[in-house]
Amino acid sequence: MKAFTALTAAELRLLARDPASLFFMVAFPLMLLVLKRGDGGAVPGYLAMIAAIGGMGALPGLLASYRERKVLKRLATTPISPVLLLGAQLVAQVAAALAGAVLLVAVTITVFGAQAPADVLMLAAAFLLCSVMVCALGFVIAAVVRNTRGASLIGMLVMFPMIFLSGAAVPRKALPGSLRQIGDFLPLTPAVEALGDAWSGTAAIFPLLILAGIIVAATAAGAALFRWE
Amino acid sequence: MEAIEVTDLRKAYGDTHAVDGVTFAVRAGETFGIVGHNGAGKTTTVECLIGLRRADAGTVRVLGEDPARRRRALAQRLGVQLQDSSLPERMKVAEALRMFGSLYRDAADWRRVMDRWSLRPLARKAFGDLSGGQKQRLMLALAMVGDPEVVVLDELTTGLDPVARRETWRLIGDLRTAGTTVVLVSHYFDEIEALCDRVAVFARGRVEAVGTPAELIARTGTASLEEAYLALEGVDR
Repeated sequence: MKAFTALTAAELRLLARDPASLFFMVAFPLMLLVLKRGDGGAVPGYLAMIAAIGGMGALPGLLASYRERKVLKRLATTPISPVLLLGAQLVAQVAAALAGAVLLVAVTITVFGAQAPADVLMLAAAFLLCSVMVCALGFVIAAVVRNTRGASLIGMLVMFPMIFLSGAAVPRKALPGSLRQIGDFLPLTPAVEALGDAWSGTAAIFPLLILAGIIVAATAAGAALFRWE
Repeated sequence: MEAIEVTDLRKAYGDTHAVDGVTFAVRAGETFGIVGHNGAGKTTTVECLIGLRRADAGTVRVLGEDPARRRRALAQRLGVQLQDSSLPERMKVAEALRMFGSLYRDAADWRRVMDRWSLRPLARKAFGDLSGGQKQRLMLALAMVGDPEVVVLDELTTGLDPVARRETWRLIGDLRTAGTTVVLVSHYFDEIEALCDRVAVFARGRVEAVGTPAELIARTGTASLEEAYLALEGVDR
């Protein structure tokens, strides 16, 4: 437990020092909120976006670089178990996303006077599931693509269309019909739905179950495909 | 007492027999050198010792344990410095020492390790901003932070300037005084001669000869360990 906490804390410090992470997970969503004049209805989507930027935009490249530069190999000679090593990465990413999310929600309510989320507990549950899910997808990308540049690029190429087609960045109502249909099959779509439902107080359990299912499937695929070197 | 016993170790990658029947033993408290040209099987052998690779055949025992089966338990008692491994670019020196220390049950005081390896002036520097020699020194210190019984060092002083090299030699000498078993992989014969009780000469995935530097020199009728090595390798001088 001591080892796990130390690894997670170290990783969080590194994330806090990374200007790109800070910008995209904290400043960028706030900028979008300002452009939207503080419209609370857009916030659940932005929460999914914060998580996706960390889990799919940043995590694959980070893991691939740790592998390429033999950071993982060096850690593999210490007593830490490989599962805990990757678990610490996950917890750090989720915690960083959570910090960005809490800040965004707080600004929405206090600065723009929007209505507070109706079901805070369900919102938290949906956000955690969403955040873990995008990290699991990020693991799969880092497992399949071997080098750092490739993993970063594929992460971005998967993330950007997904945040637009899933309703995270723009409402799906605004999309043409065919693009909306693509969104039906993207893993981030049920996450945006679950967050939106919890925000408006019409929370349903079904999208959460889908998220849990994606987490299990992606984790299994990532574990089967991941290479330490 | 043997700290390390390797018997008929074999490991192939596809058709390449990287290690093809390696046998040697390292006594507890001994500083043991491994020399050999690139591709002689040194690094593969080392990676089998520390449990990063599973041998195709043969047995490996480190402190009585099989590293392939009991890697994590053994890792508590092992210190490792790998060839060209690194840390996250933005991780600071003191953070790295503290974090690695927290991975071990009975770690040394990381601040003391930081002082011993003269890293305190660099404590707040990020890994990515260190010079090659400073990185090497930090990676060596990280190998010591778990207070190990056996230390495995691959390419000990590569990238160090002459002063830092001598300082490192002194610290490795201290380890021997403290009774730590040291396995040293190196290209530098002066280093092996100065530090090692015994040396194994690797060639083509096998151990060509084992002995004290003086024995190898006498056996080959040469004047230095480097010449003894070249004679054992069958290189004409």
